[in-house]
Amino acid sequence: MATTEVAAKTGAVSVQNVRKVYYRDSQQIPVLDGLSLEVPQGEFMALMGPSGSGKTTLLNLIAGIDSATSGKVVVAGTDLTPLSEGELAKWRSRNVGFIFQFYNLIPVLNAVENVELPLLLSRLSKKERRERALTALRIVGLADRSKHYPRQLSGGQEQRVAIARAIVTDPSVLVADEPTGDLDSKSAEEILDLMQTFNKEFGKTIVMVTHDPRAASRAHTQRHLEKGVLTT
Amino acid sequence: MKFAPLVLKHLRKNWIRTLSTVLAMSVCIFLICVLQTVISAVNFGLNAGSTRRLVVRDYVSLANNLPITYKQKVAAIPGVTDTCIVSWFGGVYRDPKNFFANLAVEPEAFLRIYPEVMLPPDQKAAWLSDVRGAIIGRKLAQRFGWKIGDHVQLESFIPPYRVGKPFDFLVDGIYDTDEARYPGTDLNSMYFNFKYLYEATGQRVGIGTLTAQIDDPSRAGVMSKAIDESFDNSDNPTKTETEQAFRASFVALAGNLALLLNLIGMAVAFTILLVTANTMSIAVRERQQEIAVLKTLGFSSTLVMTLILSEALLLGLMGGLLGILFARGIIAVLVNVPFLGDILRGFPGLGLSPQIAALGVGMALLLGLLAGFIPSILAYRARITEALRQV
Repeated sequence: MATTEVAAKTGAVSVQNVRKVYYRDSQQIPVLDGLSLEVPQGEFMALMGPSGSGKTTLLNLIAGIDSATSGKVVVAGTDLTPLSEGELAKWRSRNVGFIFQFYNLIPVLNAVENVELPLLLSRLSKKERRERALTALRIVGLADRSKHYPRQLSGGQEQRVAIARAIVTDPSVLVADEPTGDLDSKSAEEILDLMQTFNKEFGKTIVMVTHDPRAASRAHTQRHLEKGVLTT
Repeated sequence: MKFAPLVLKHLRKNWIRTLSTVLAMSVCIFLICVLQTVISAVNFGLNAGSTRRLVVRDYVSLANNLPITYKQKVAAIPGVTDTCIVSWFGGVYRDPKNFFANLAVEPEAFLRIYPEVMLPPDQKAAWLSDVRGAIIGRKLAQRFGWKIGDHVQLESFIPPYRVGKPFDFLVDGIYDTDEARYPGTDLNSMYFNFKYLYEATGQRVGIGTLTAQIDDPSRAGVMSKAIDESFDNSDNPTKTETEQAFRASFVALAGNLALLLNLIGMAVAFTILLVTANTMSIAVRERQQEIAVLKTLGFSSTLVMTLILSEALLLGLMGGLLGILFARGIIAVLVNVPFLGDILRGFPGLGLSPQIAALGVGMALLLGLLAGFIPSILAYRARITEALRQV
């Protein structure tokens, strides 16, 4: 992976002339068309746009869970383009935290076990893993719910556990796909407060996809996509 | 090991499904273990036969006796070193359910030809000098609590041996064997003097079977043919075969028994494989989203596949161990079941051996592996973006 490392000065995220085409049978469906985007270190960026504009696809490329048809994606100093699936998995476990719209906690695990999950891929001892997971839960204000299962938590609490899971490995980049899309306004505000805290106090670079203008207003910058092209 | 809680918690979550799968698997392994135990016991008994002993019997049916004179004629055939009359008496002790083998033999010849039947010298002497004497196997003695000096009365169900009253035998000896040298020796039988039977029936009975000891086991085929040819033109042609072949034919359908039992076992195993594979497929299908999340967090496809396979293997292991416990318990109980137990006691090697238990566990793990294979491949191939889109 060392050969693909790029100087950090290129920014936290650098998307260069990326095309993404999906194939349905023999039909080509272009989603991103020569898109370029730079997200500086410590930036909180909101990606907006109508459904089908390619926001989530772009986010997936940045998170390393999908690969571009052409172009280059550099995140946290690593060019993701040439990485194999296994290398991408390893990279994700160390460099990026993902926050989903529907939290996606593992139902059979309690809060602290869910947060601990990414740490299972590290060399940390059981005790260290547990301590870090509890610290992450403390940061999101849910230390007292560590033994609760997802079904015993409210939507806002579940999303906070999911955020704790995203930050527990201390990634430099957080990507969030409509993190407030399934929450009431109060819970949404709490989640956005948390994200702002991670951005301001912990220097995390955040790329957030949202439809919600109020959520987007919390970001430093807002970019709009239309039909796979950035318009602003 | 750090992933073990994740695997265990998934199994615990759908505990009814897990339990039913484990039970199904355990029934399969139980059946395989019991069937294999029976097969192995039958084979054990068959292989216990000496290669130096030929059994001569009536060509048409075991129910027909051979003339007494056949003993001398067979003994005179070159290559035959010794002969002994062994007639199935079919004696019943009080109740037909108290079944055990009881045979009329010529004591001196019998002890010469059957060295696996071991008696202390004093008991041997007592038996040889007592026409009404009998020797019983150690296990038979334990079964009925018989001791030396006890009188045992048997009444045969075979018409020529029915004399209007039971035969009265005196237990002169309790025989044992050297398990290392003579594995599979039957210790559940009773032997008594043929002379007693012959005299009591008015010297009207013939020979049930005649055991001929030969000098060269490699010539068993030639010798069998020679014996049979010498009676070809008589009123009672014979059928001669090795003791092993005789036992195989005596244990009805023994040749095809193993095949039949194995087919049953395989059919059950295949059914359980489908059930378990279906269960695992459902489990994986339900967890598409979770698999995508794990992969998003950095779990490699190989690791996810390993977790799914581990679940399947664990199901197999639990089913296997439970099945072995069932099998062990049932086999121990079977010998006490009326009638069936009497038959099973005839197989000295009956019991769940470590080899069969290992086979059971191995089979269970293999079933688990096969059942989890396709679901784990599906998990391996699952694309994160597609699975997340299904939310």
